[in-house]
Amino acid sequence: MRIALFSDIHANLLAFQAMLKDMDSLRPDAVYCLGDLVGYHIYPNEVIDEIRRRGIPTLKGNHDEKVENIITNAESLNEPGKKYAYHLIREDNKEYLRTLPAHIRLDFKMNNEKFNLVFAHGSTRTIDEYVLFDTDENYVLQMMEEADADLLFVGHSHKPYHRVIQTDGRFKHVINLGSVGKPKDGDTRGCYVLVTLNNDASVFTIDCIKVEFRRVEYDVEASAKSIEDSQLPDEFAQALRVAK
Amino acid sequence: MKIALFSDIHANLPALEAFLKDVETRNTDAIYCLGDLVGYNIWSNEVIDEIRRRGIPTIAGNYDWGIGRSSDDCGCAYKTDEEKAMGKVSISYTNEVVKDEQRAYLRTLPAHIRLEYQLNHDRRNILFVHGSPRKVNEYLFEDRDEKSMLRILEQAEADIMCFGHTHQPYHRILNSGTDGSNHFRHAINIGSVGKPKDKDPRGGYVILTINPDSTVTDKDSIKVEFIRFEYDVEKAAKAVEDSPLPNEYADMLRNG
Repeated sequence: MRIALFSDIHANLLAFQAMLKDMDSLRPDAVYCLGDLVGYHIYPNEVIDEIRRRGIPTLKGNHDEKVENIITNAESLNEPGKKYAYHLIREDNKEYLRTLPAHIRLDFKMNNEKFNLVFAHGSTRTIDEYVLFDTDENYVLQMMEEADADLLFVGHSHKPYHRVIQTDGRFKHVINLGSVGKPKDGDTRGCYVLVTLNNDASVFTIDCIKVEFRRVEYDVEASAKSIEDSQLPDEFAQALRVAK
Repeated sequence: MKIALFSDIHANLPALEAFLKDVETRNTDAIYCLGDLVGYNIWSNEVIDEIRRRGIPTIAGNYDWGIGRSSDDCGCAYKTDEEKAMGKVSISYTNEVVKDEQRAYLRTLPAHIRLEYQLNHDRRNILFVHGSPRKVNEYLFEDRDEKSMLRILEQAEADIMCFGHTHQPYHRILNSGTDGSNHFRHAINIGSVGKPKDKDPRGGYVILTINPDSTVTDKDSIKVEFIRFEYDVEKAAKAVEDSPLPNEYADMLRNG
């Protein structure tokens, strides 16, 4: 079974379309989105509509949550600034974002032995906590223990990694998916993950899953230009060009 | 948010195709399959292929569990010797036709999917299982004792639990609040796409709607719709009759 996981699209439609094209060519058996569909760019509705049309199970990210507290009136779309990215969102899509879950868990019983995959946007504790490659190992282990997670998949930091932590003869995995629409690791290409689960996957073997980080080229310049032509701050465009 | 939930297709491709056509008209935001893709009809591979092609998140049913492991036991509770003998034919036929790649897919399906919500400062879990949270092949019928049903939901930390396996759809609302406070839990059997057993031969599935202001203290804050759709029952029944499968399975499709 192969599962595709992506997050942090941030309304970057060109990056999203390129990622979907790459993903469709790989024919995964299931697809999950770990949140942050909106913010920083001008195509939130196009991105949300496509995710809803495909029926992709999706988590709420901190930017999706932020929409709940933004008041939009008739004048809002004429005001320059960061909030423009949220003012653009249609009412029915706002309602969709409000009803997204915080976490999704898949519980497996492979060889009469339990084994699970837990998906969260930031961390299992909070929606906007960063779980980074070098976050203290004991801290991460304690959090995973608390959440009863064997394999934890997160987004939010926009910096992809796969970390294996060994504890009591078991292997715990933390996978950060990187970002489809706003990478921050110096590589301007969009990033997502393809996971292959082995037939006899278990917490006792280190290679129970194969994690492939896919990098996808897209027209960064066209995407950046459309930000500069909008009410959004120009630095959002520059961030795409330098992937910072 | 509208979530479509379906299960118990049992290799009935005409029913699956009719379901997919129907669900596409209803603007759902997510679709989950709660297992039992195979057995009792001739299109086990085709049903698996279609669900994989669409990337529909799916959990393992008892029949998938058995076929995924090339077992001769599907975990079905057949009552009579006759039913047992027919069941044997179905599982050995299904084991014969299912190809390696499709079998590997069945084998790596998760047992449960859980959605954890934090809505309105309220934690709320939606749990998808095939039979029950305890066992893939446990039957949770509508007339189950209320205390026992509540205990199952509480132990699984499920506020809304959706499942299949019995092929008989229902929605029960139970209150597990104490000291006069309300905590409503929902047990939802989603029926069967390809082998209904409630005297209605049409396929069945569920659309669950979660409102943004949904809370556990309001029993009406979710909406559960039972959808029935017509499909070419005769084509599915005829396919059974033209195969090594017992003809009784064809009549079951005709009679629901």
